[in-house]
Amino acid sequence: MKKTEIFTGITVMFTVALLSGYLLAQVFKITRVQIEKQKKIEAERLNKEMFPEGVNFVETEQQGLSYISVLDAKKNQIGMIFEISRSGYGGPIVIKVGIDNNLQVKGVRILEHNETPGLGAKITDNKFLNQFIGKTGNELSLRKYHSEGTIDAVTGATISSKAVTEGIVEMIEKVRSLNIASSPYSNILPEEEKNKKMGKSQKGENN
Amino acid sequence: MSAQHKLVDTKSFTSGLWKMNPILYLMIGLCPLLAVSSAVKDALGMGVAVIFVLTGANVTISLIRRVVPSHVRIPVFIVIIATFVTTVDYSLTAFSPQLHKNLGVYLPLMVVNCIILGRAEAFASKNNIINSALDGLGMGLGFTIAIFVISAIRELLGQGTFMGLNVLGRNYTPFIIMLMPPGAFLVMGFLIALKNSIERRGQKNVK
Repeated sequence: MKKTEIFTGITVMFTVALLSGYLLAQVFKITRVQIEKQKKIEAERLNKEMFPEGVNFVETEQQGLSYISVLDAKKNQIGMIFEISRSGYGGPIVIKVGIDNNLQVKGVRILEHNETPGLGAKITDNKFLNQFIGKTGNELSLRKYHSEGTIDAVTGATISSKAVTEGIVEMIEKVRSLNIASSPYSNILPEEEKNKKMGKSQKGENN
Repeated sequence: MSAQHKLVDTKSFTSGLWKMNPILYLMIGLCPLLAVSSAVKDALGMGVAVIFVLTGANVTISLIRRVVPSHVRIPVFIVIIATFVTTVDYSLTAFSPQLHKNLGVYLPLMVVNCIILGRAEAFASKNNIINSALDGLGMGLGFTIAIFVISAIRELLGQGTFMGLNVLGRNYTPFIIMLMPPGAFLVMGFLIALKNSIERRGQKNVK
């Protein structure tokens, strides 16, 4: 192969890659707003699915832990929704967990994962996720490792199942140690935010 | 190939529809066919995506066919195809997240789909832009028709529905194997047999 041939080859590949990259950046810019919107709608749908009786879902941060506080019609906190990330077999698994004030799991959803299709990817099945509902603390461990455990791992996907289970347990323990669940909602938000919140909800009622 | 000499050859459009149908004759692009043909809606979405990517990639590749040295053509083709596929991917995430979810990994896998790379290599890199666009449209439509027929049969027998609407009534017992990969192979086999028998009969009549 002549030197000039190599050179033209490189130039053509470089130009094509550069143009493609530029075009894709433009497409990304156009679609990003809509993608974010869709993500938000989906997140709200999942929240409502976990807490059908929840009226307000307020993003909150307390003692360095950010979560969504679920309020009923009387503005009492009835639960919390956390998003946690835990590394599984093929990368991080992003898990959404809803717990009530007694730290019992109300619902678990897998938002993102890169587990093996057909094996680890089965952690998204309801058959696996529904096992968590209504349980807390040391009930939440894989039966494979602890005799008192109540969670059956997905066959052939122990690492993925373990990541989900441990992630949830760790999160619950953290909430327990920080004692967030027992604090009433009025203590969570600073004064100004509370006012803003009140104004918002009043507006909502007027509509 | 006569298409090489004519400026506009309708054969480049019609051959993909029936005679050289990518699924029923060339038997390429079977991976998405088997994966997303269990429901008509998903199949049509896939078909439209294939038509768009195939036509776009064919036109672009035909446009630059004289500039690209043959020893770097495959990476250049792949980058161009990937650009179109990613555009579809972003757009679907933004405007039809449910369809995007259903198509799953088979949408990004279109980058290495052999219909698209095959047509780029066998047709677009040797023919003018108009014929390449016609070939892309024809092959894409041929794929869409084939996947539509297969998915209609699979959905009807496997779920008793068409486009999600109940057709066969509540008492229908679903033919579960139709929803699984063997069902796709079976239906495809029967369709190929049907096509061959129609063509053979046609030849006899000519004689």
